[in-house]
Amino acid sequence: MSNLTIPGSQSTPAINGDWETGVLTMSGDSYPENSFDLFNQVIDWVERFLAQTQKPLTLELHLLYLNTSSVRAVMDVFDLLEEAHQAGHEVAVNWHYDRRNERVAELAEEFLEDCSFPFSIIPHD
Amino acid sequence: MKRDADLCQRIERLLAMPEYQGHPLHEALGQLWQAYVDQSARLERVTHISDRYQALAKERENDLDERFRKQLRKLEKLARISDHYQRMMQDLNAALSDASKRDVLTGLPNRRHLLQKLKEESERSARSGRPFSVAMLDIDHFKQINDTLGHAAGDRVLAGVSRILESSLRENDLCGRWGGEEFMLVLPDASPDAAQALVDRVCQRIRSHAWAPDNPRTVSASVGVSTHRPGEHYSETVERADAALLEAKRRGRDCVVISPD
Repeated sequence: MSNLTIPGSQSTPAINGDWETGVLTMSGDSYPENSFDLFNQVIDWVERFLAQTQKPLTLELHLLYLNTSSVRAVMDVFDLLEEAHQAGHEVAVNWHYDRRNERVAELAEEFLEDCSFPFSIIPHD
Repeated sequence: MKRDADLCQRIERLLAMPEYQGHPLHEALGQLWQAYVDQSARLERVTHISDRYQALAKERENDLDERFRKQLRKLEKLARISDHYQRMMQDLNAALSDASKRDVLTGLPNRRHLLQKLKEESERSARSGRPFSVAMLDIDHFKQINDTLGHAAGDRVLAGVSRILESSLRENDLCGRWGGEEFMLVLPDASPDAAQALVDRVCQRIRSHAWAPDNPRTVSASVGVSTHRPGEHYSETVERADAALLEAKRRGRDCVVISPD
Protein backbone atom coordinates (compact mmCIF):
# COMPACT_ATOMS: atom_id res chain seq x y z
CA MET A 1 0.00 0.00 0.00
CA SER A 2 1.74 3.13 -1.19
CA ASN A 3 0.89 6.31 -3.02
CA LEU A 4 2.67 7.48 -6.13
CA THR A 5 3.52 11.18 -6.27
CA ILE A 6 5.57 12.70 -9.06
CA PRO A 7 5.44 16.50 -9.26
CA GLY A 8 4.93 17.93 -12.74
CA SER A 9 7.32 20.11 -14.70
CA GLN A 10 7.16 21.95 -17.99
CA SER A 11 7.96 18.74 -19.88
CA THR A 12 6.46 16.11 -17.56
CA PRO A 13 2.93 15.61 -16.26
CA ALA A 14 2.02 15.76 -12.59
CA ILE A 15 1.28 12.17 -11.55
CA ASN A 16 -0.67 11.12 -8.51
CA GLY A 17 -1.63 7.57 -7.60
CA ASP A 18 -3.91 7.20 -4.57
CA TRP A 19 -3.81 3.60 -3.35
CA GLU A 20 -6.67 4.13 -0.90
CA THR A 21 -9.20 5.47 -3.43
CA GLY A 22 -7.77 3.66 -6.47
CA VAL A 23 -7.45 6.84 -8.52
CA LEU A 24 -4.47 7.59 -10.72
CA THR A 25 -4.31 11.16 -12.04
CA MET A 26 -1.99 12.47 -14.75
CA SER A 27 -2.11 16.14 -15.83
CA GLY A 28 -0.10 18.29 -18.20
CA ASP A 29 2.26 17.94 -21.14
CA SER A 30 4.59 14.99 -21.53
CA TYR A 31 7.84 15.15 -23.47
CA PRO A 32 10.39 14.00 -20.90
CA GLU A 33 14.10 13.47 -21.53
CA ASN A 34 13.76 9.92 -20.34
CA SER A 35 10.19 8.75 -20.59
CA PHE A 36 11.04 5.15 -19.60
CA ASP A 37 12.28 6.23 -16.18
CA LEU A 38 9.17 8.30 -15.66
CA PHE A 39 6.55 5.87 -16.94
CA ASN A 40 8.17 2.74 -15.49
CA GLN A 41 7.19 4.10 -12.08
CA VAL A 42 3.61 4.48 -13.31
CA ILE A 43 3.53 1.03 -14.90
CA ASP A 44 5.01 -0.54 -11.73
CA TRP A 45 2.43 1.18 -9.57
CA VAL A 46 -0.48 0.08 -11.78
CA GLU A 47 0.86 -3.51 -11.92
CA ARG A 48 1.19 -3.65 -8.12
CA PHE A 49 -2.24 -2.14 -7.58
CA LEU A 50 -3.90 -4.61 -9.95
CA ALA A 51 -2.01 -7.56 -8.47
CA GLN A 52 -2.39 -6.71 -4.80
CA THR A 53 -5.93 -5.34 -4.55
CA GLN A 54 -9.37 -6.15 -5.81
CA LYS A 55 -10.37 -2.48 -5.63
CA PRO A 56 -11.51 -0.72 -8.80
CA LEU A 57 -8.87 1.43 -10.51
CA THR A 58 -9.78 4.69 -12.26
CA LEU A 59 -7.46 6.83 -14.38
CA GLU A 60 -8.23 10.54 -14.49
CA LEU A 61 -6.26 11.98 -17.40
CA HIS A 62 -5.80 15.66 -18.15
CA LEU A 63 -3.04 15.20 -20.72
CA LEU A 64 -2.32 17.72 -23.48
CA TYR A 65 0.76 17.10 -25.59
CA LEU A 66 2.44 13.66 -25.60
CA ASN A 67 5.63 12.83 -27.45
CA THR A 68 5.97 9.44 -29.14
CA SER A 69 7.50 7.56 -26.22
CA SER A 70 4.86 8.97 -23.89
CA VAL A 71 2.12 7.80 -26.29
CA ARG A 72 3.70 4.36 -26.15
CA ALA A 73 3.81 4.38 -22.35
CA VAL A 74 0.14 5.37 -22.14
CA MET A 75 -0.72 2.56 -24.58
CA ASP A 76 1.21 0.13 -22.34
CA VAL A 77 -0.76 1.28 -19.30
CA PHE A 78 -4.01 0.77 -21.23
CA ASP A 79 -2.84 -2.74 -22.18
CA LEU A 80 -2.44 -3.52 -18.48
CA LEU A 81 -5.94 -2.21 -17.82
CA GLU A 82 -7.36 -4.24 -20.71
CA GLU A 83 -5.74 -7.43 -19.35
CA ALA A 84 -7.09 -6.72 -15.87
CA HIS A 85 -10.53 -5.96 -17.29
CA GLN A 86 -10.53 -9.28 -19.19
CA ALA A 87 -9.68 -10.97 -15.89
CA GLY A 88 -12.67 -9.34 -14.18
CA HIS A 89 -10.94 -6.46 -12.41
CA GLU A 90 -12.97 -3.24 -12.46
CA VAL A 91 -11.04 -0.50 -14.29
CA ALA A 92 -12.00 2.75 -16.04
CA VAL A 93 -10.43 5.71 -17.84
CA ASN A 94 -11.76 9.27 -17.82
CA TRP A 95 -9.98 11.44 -20.36
CA HIS A 96 -10.71 15.12 -19.71
CA TYR A 97 -10.19 17.84 -22.28
CA ASP A 98 -10.80 21.55 -22.74
CA ARG A 99 -13.83 22.12 -24.97
CA ARG A 100 -11.80 24.68 -26.95
CA ASN A 101 -9.31 22.03 -28.00
CA GLU A 102 -11.29 19.35 -29.85
CA ARG A 103 -8.04 17.86 -31.15
CA VAL A 104 -7.34 16.35 -27.72
CA ALA A 105 -10.72 14.58 -27.86
CA GLU A 106 -9.88 13.16 -31.30
CA LEU A 107 -6.61 11.84 -29.92
CA ALA A 108 -8.35 10.25 -26.94
CA GLU A 109 -10.69 8.55 -29.47
CA GLU A 110 -7.68 7.00 -31.14
CA PHE A 111 -6.39 5.64 -27.84
CA LEU A 112 -9.83 4.24 -27.10
CA GLU A 113 -9.70 1.82 -30.07
CA ASP A 114 -9.00 -1.76 -28.86
CA CYS A 115 -10.05 -0.87 -25.29
CA SER A 116 -13.12 -2.74 -24.07
CA PHE A 117 -13.14 -1.32 -20.52
CA PRO A 118 -15.19 1.83 -19.72
CA PHE A 119 -13.45 4.77 -21.38
CA SER A 120 -15.05 8.25 -21.20
CA ILE A 121 -13.93 11.38 -23.02
CA ILE A 122 -15.18 14.29 -20.98
CA PRO A 123 -15.19 17.97 -22.05
CA HIS A 124 -14.86 20.82 -19.60
CA ASP A 125 -14.96 24.61 -19.99
CA MET B 1 0.45 -52.22 -45.89
CA LYS B 2 -1.89 -55.14 -46.45
CA ARG B 3 0.98 -57.14 -47.88
CA ASP B 4 3.25 -56.23 -44.92
CA ALA B 5 0.58 -57.34 -42.43
CA ASP B 6 0.05 -60.60 -44.31
CA LEU B 7 3.78 -61.28 -44.37
CA CYS B 8 4.09 -60.60 -40.62
CA GLN B 9 1.25 -63.04 -39.85
CA ARG B 10 2.81 -65.65 -42.09
CA ILE B 11 6.25 -65.35 -40.43
CA GLU B 12 4.74 -65.55 -36.96
CA ARG B 13 2.74 -68.59 -37.96
CA LEU B 14 5.81 -70.33 -39.44
CA LEU B 15 7.93 -69.62 -36.35
CA ALA B 16 5.20 -71.08 -34.12
CA MET B 17 4.92 -74.36 -36.05
CA PRO B 18 6.52 -77.21 -34.03
CA GLU B 19 7.74 -79.14 -37.13
CA TYR B 20 10.32 -76.42 -37.95
CA GLN B 21 11.75 -76.21 -34.40
CA GLY B 22 15.47 -77.02 -34.33
CA HIS B 23 15.98 -76.28 -38.05
CA PRO B 24 18.96 -73.88 -38.56
CA LEU B 25 16.78 -71.61 -40.78
CA HIS B 26 14.15 -71.42 -38.03
CA GLU B 27 16.66 -70.03 -35.58
CA ALA B 28 18.04 -67.50 -38.14
CA LEU B 29 14.53 -66.38 -39.13
CA GLY B 30 13.60 -66.07 -35.44
CA GLN B 31 16.54 -63.71 -34.79
CA LEU B 32 15.86 -61.70 -37.96
CA TRP B 33 12.19 -61.39 -36.96
CA GLN B 34 13.09 -60.10 -33.49
CA ALA B 35 15.50 -57.54 -34.99
CA TYR B 36 12.73 -56.38 -37.35
CA VAL B 37 10.22 -55.98 -34.52
CA ASP B 38 12.75 -53.95 -32.48
CA GLN B 39 13.60 -51.69 -35.41
CA SER B 40 9.91 -51.07 -36.14
CA ALA B 41 9.29 -50.07 -32.52
CA ARG B 42 12.27 -47.72 -32.59
CA LEU B 43 11.12 -46.12 -35.85
CA GLU B 44 7.70 -45.63 -34.31
CA ARG B 45 9.21 -43.87 -31.31
CA VAL B 46 11.49 -41.65 -33.38
CA THR B 47 8.57 -40.63 -35.58
CA HIS B 48 6.44 -39.84 -32.56
CA ILE B 49 9.16 -37.69 -30.95
CA SER B 50 9.82 -35.93 -34.22
CA ASP B 51 6.12 -35.18 -34.64
CA ARG B 52 6.01 -33.65 -31.19
CA TYR B 53 9.00 -31.45 -31.97
CA GLN B 54 7.35 -30.32 -35.15
CA ALA B 55 4.10 -29.54 -33.34
CA LEU B 56 6.03 -27.52 -30.79
CA ALA B 57 7.90 -25.58 -33.45
CA LYS B 58 4.64 -24.93 -35.27
CA GLU B 59 2.98 -23.72 -32.10
CA ARG B 60 5.92 -21.42 -31.44
CA GLU B 61 5.73 -20.08 -34.94
CA ASN B 62 2.01 -19.40 -34.62
CA ASP B 63 2.62 -17.72 -31.29
CA LEU B 64 5.42 -15.57 -32.72
CA ASP B 65 3.24 -14.75 -35.68
CA GLU B 66 0.42 -13.68 -33.41
CA ARG B 67 2.77 -11.60 -31.28
CA PHE B 68 4.31 -10.04 -34.36
CA ARG B 69 0.89 -9.07 -35.69
CA LYS B 70 -0.04 -7.60 -32.32
CA GLN B 71 3.16 -5.55 -32.13
CA LEU B 72 2.64 -4.38 -35.67
CA ARG B 73 -0.90 -3.24 -34.88
CA LYS B 74 0.42 -1.45 -31.82
CA LEU B 75 3.19 0.21 -33.79
CA GLU B 76 0.76 1.40 -36.44
CA LYS B 77 -1.50 2.84 -33.77
CA LEU B 78 1.49 4.49 -32.10
CA ALA B 79 2.60 6.10 -35.35
CA ARG B 80 -0.94 7.28 -36.11
CA ILE B 81 -1.42 8.88 -32.71
CA SER B 82 2.06 10.37 -32.70
CA ASP B 83 1.54 11.92 -36.14
CA HIS B 84 -1.72 13.36 -34.92
CA TYR B 85 0.05 14.96 -31.94
CA GLN B 86 2.66 16.42 -34.27
CA ARG B 87 0.01 17.93 -36.51
CA MET B 88 -1.65 19.44 -33.46
CA MET B 89 1.70 20.89 -32.38
CA GLN B 90 2.34 22.36 -35.82
CA ASP B 91 -1.09 23.99 -35.93
CA LEU B 92 -0.55 25.43 -32.46
CA ASN B 93 2.85 26.75 -33.53
CA ALA B 94 1.32 28.38 -36.59
CA ALA B 95 -1.40 30.00 -34.45
CA LEU B 96 1.21 31.14 -31.96
CA SER B 97 3.45 32.54 -34.67
CA ASP B 98 0.49 34.41 -36.14
CA ALA B 99 -0.50 35.77 -32.72
CA SER B 100 3.06 36.87 -31.98
CA LYS B 101 3.07 39.02 -35.11
CA ARG B 102 -0.22 40.79 -34.47
CA ASP B 103 -1.16 43.81 -32.41
CA VAL B 104 -3.93 42.81 -30.00
CA LEU B 105 -5.91 46.06 -30.05
CA THR B 106 -6.03 46.76 -33.80
CA GLY B 107 -5.43 43.30 -35.23
CA LEU B 108 -2.74 44.82 -37.48
CA PRO B 109 0.78 43.41 -37.80
CA ASN B 110 2.89 44.55 -34.84
CA ARG B 111 6.35 46.09 -34.68
CA ARG B 112 8.02 42.65 -34.75
CA HIS B 113 6.23 41.82 -38.00
CA LEU B 114 7.02 45.24 -39.49
CA LEU B 115 10.72 44.82 -38.71
CA GLN B 116 10.70 41.43 -40.40
CA LYS B 117 9.01 42.96 -43.46
CA LEU B 118 11.54 45.83 -43.54
CA LYS B 119 14.39 43.32 -43.46
CA GLU B 120 12.83 41.24 -46.27
CA GLU B 121 12.14 44.31 -48.40
CA SER B 122 15.67 45.69 -48.00
CA GLU B 123 17.07 42.30 -49.05
CA ARG B 124 14.70 42.15 -51.99
CA SER B 125 15.57 45.69 -52.97
CA ALA B 126 19.29 44.85 -52.86
CA ARG B 127 18.66 41.97 -55.27
CA SER B 128 16.24 43.68 -57.66
CA GLY B 129 17.59 47.24 -57.44
CA ARG B 130 14.02 48.51 -57.04
CA PRO B 131 13.38 50.83 -54.08
CA PHE B 132 10.69 50.57 -51.41
CA SER B 133 9.18 53.35 -49.38
CA VAL B 134 8.33 53.64 -45.70
CA ALA B 135 5.59 55.89 -44.36
CA MET B 136 5.34 56.74 -40.68
CA LEU B 137 1.84 57.93 -39.74
CA ASP B 138 0.89 59.55 -36.45
CA ILE B 139 -2.65 60.50 -35.39
CA ASP B 140 -2.76 64.22 -34.56
CA HIS B 141 -3.61 65.28 -31.00
CA PHE B 142 -4.31 61.70 -30.00
CA LYS B 143 -3.55 62.43 -26.34
CA GLN B 144 -6.32 65.02 -26.31
CA ILE B 145 -8.81 62.50 -27.74
CA ASN B 146 -7.89 60.12 -24.95
CA ASP B 147 -7.98 62.84 -22.28
CA THR B 148 -11.27 64.44 -23.30
CA LEU B 149 -13.27 61.50 -24.70
CA GLY B 150 -11.77 58.61 -22.76
CA HIS B 151 -9.58 55.69 -23.69
CA ALA B 152 -12.42 53.70 -25.26
CA ALA B 153 -12.93 56.51 -27.80
CA GLY B 154 -9.18 56.62 -28.35
CA ASP B 155 -9.15 52.88 -28.99
CA ARG B 156 -11.99 53.28 -31.51
CA VAL B 157 -9.98 55.90 -33.39
CA LEU B 158 -6.98 53.54 -33.49
CA ALA B 159 -9.19 50.72 -34.78
CA GLY B 160 -10.84 53.01 -37.35
CA VAL B 161 -7.52 54.29 -38.69
CA SER B 162 -6.33 50.67 -38.88
CA ARG B 163 -9.28 49.69 -41.09
CA ILE B 164 -8.68 52.71 -43.37
CA LEU B 165 -5.01 51.79 -43.68
CA GLU B 166 -5.76 48.14 -44.41
CA SER B 167 -8.25 48.96 -47.13
CA SER B 168 -5.95 51.49 -48.81
CA LEU B 169 -3.05 49.14 -49.41
CA ARG B 170 -1.86 47.50 -52.60
CA GLU B 171 -1.37 43.75 -52.65
CA ASN B 172 2.21 43.56 -51.38
CA ASP B 173 2.06 46.54 -49.03
CA LEU B 174 2.08 46.02 -45.30
CA CYS B 175 0.81 48.32 -42.60
CA GLY B 176 1.18 47.81 -38.89
CA ARG B 177 1.08 49.50 -35.52
CA TRP B 178 4.55 50.76 -34.71
CA GLY B 179 3.55 51.77 -31.18
CA GLY B 180 1.09 54.08 -29.41
CA GLU B 181 -0.74 56.09 -32.07
CA GLU B 182 2.02 55.56 -34.64
CA PHE B 183 1.52 53.37 -37.69
CA MET B 184 3.97 52.28 -40.35
CA LEU B 185 3.38 51.45 -43.98
CA VAL B 186 5.96 49.46 -45.92
CA LEU B 187 5.42 49.98 -49.65
CA PRO B 188 7.47 47.73 -51.97
CA ASP B 189 8.33 49.07 -55.44
CA ALA B 190 6.93 52.49 -54.51
CA SER B 191 8.73 55.62 -55.67
CA PRO B 192 8.43 58.74 -53.45
CA ASP B 193 5.64 60.03 -55.77
CA ALA B 194 3.68 56.79 -55.67
CA ALA B 195 4.08 56.65 -51.87
CA GLN B 196 2.89 60.23 -51.54
CA ALA B 197 -0.19 59.57 -53.68
CA LEU B 198 -1.15 56.57 -51.55
CA VAL B 199 -0.54 58.38 -48.27
CA ASP B 200 -2.47 61.50 -49.41
CA ARG B 201 -5.43 59.24 -50.10
CA VAL B 202 -5.14 57.67 -46.64
CA CYS B 203 -5.03 61.11 -44.96
CA GLN B 204 -8.05 62.26 -46.95
CA ARG B 205 -10.03 59.19 -45.88
CA ILE B 206 -9.07 59.69 -42.22
CA ARG B 207 -10.15 63.34 -42.36
CA SER B 208 -13.51 62.60 -43.99
CA HIS B 209 -14.28 59.44 -42.01
CA ALA B 210 -17.52 59.59 -40.03
CA TRP B 211 -16.23 58.98 -36.55
CA ALA B 212 -18.56 57.92 -33.74
CA PRO B 213 -21.17 60.52 -32.63
CA ASP B 214 -19.37 60.84 -29.29
CA ASN B 215 -16.34 62.08 -31.21
CA PRO B 216 -17.21 65.54 -32.57
CA ARG B 217 -13.65 66.49 -33.42
CA THR B 218 -12.04 65.91 -36.76
CA VAL B 219 -9.37 63.27 -36.76
CA SER B 220 -6.30 63.87 -38.87
CA ALA B 221 -2.85 62.40 -39.28
CA SER B 222 0.68 63.57 -40.02
CA VAL B 223 2.92 61.45 -42.18
CA GLY B 224 6.64 61.25 -42.93
CA VAL B 225 7.74 59.27 -45.99
CA SER B 226 11.19 58.05 -46.95
CA THR B 227 12.42 55.89 -49.80
CA HIS B 228 15.09 53.31 -49.19
CA ARG B 229 18.53 54.29 -50.59
CA PRO B 230 20.70 51.59 -52.13
CA GLY B 231 23.14 50.24 -49.49
CA GLU B 232 21.30 51.91 -46.65
CA HIS B 233 20.31 49.87 -43.57
CA TYR B 234 16.53 49.79 -43.21
CA SER B 235 16.79 51.36 -39.75
CA GLU B 236 18.18 54.50 -41.44
CA THR B 237 15.22 54.52 -43.83
CA VAL B 238 12.92 54.37 -40.80
CA GLU B 239 14.86 57.15 -39.07
CA ARG B 240 14.47 59.39 -42.11
CA ALA B 241 10.72 58.70 -42.25
CA ASP B 242 10.57 59.53 -38.55
CA ALA B 243 12.46 62.81 -39.12
CA ALA B 244 10.04 63.67 -41.95
CA LEU B 245 7.12 62.93 -39.63
CA LEU B 246 8.58 65.35 -37.03
CA GLU B 247 8.86 67.94 -39.77
CA ALA B 248 5.18 67.40 -40.69
CA LYS B 249 4.23 67.92 -37.02
CA ARG B 250 6.35 71.06 -36.93
CA ARG B 251 4.63 72.43 -40.02
CA GLY B 252 1.29 72.30 -38.22
CA ARG B 253 0.21 68.65 -38.61
CA ASP B 254 -2.36 67.12 -41.02
CA CYS B 255 0.18 66.98 -43.83
CA VAL B 256 2.67 64.71 -45.57
CA VAL B 257 6.42 65.39 -45.70
CA ILE B 258 8.71 63.47 -48.04
CA SER B 259 12.27 62.90 -46.86
CA PRO B 260 14.78 64.16 -49.45
CA ASP B 261 16.44 61.35 -51.46
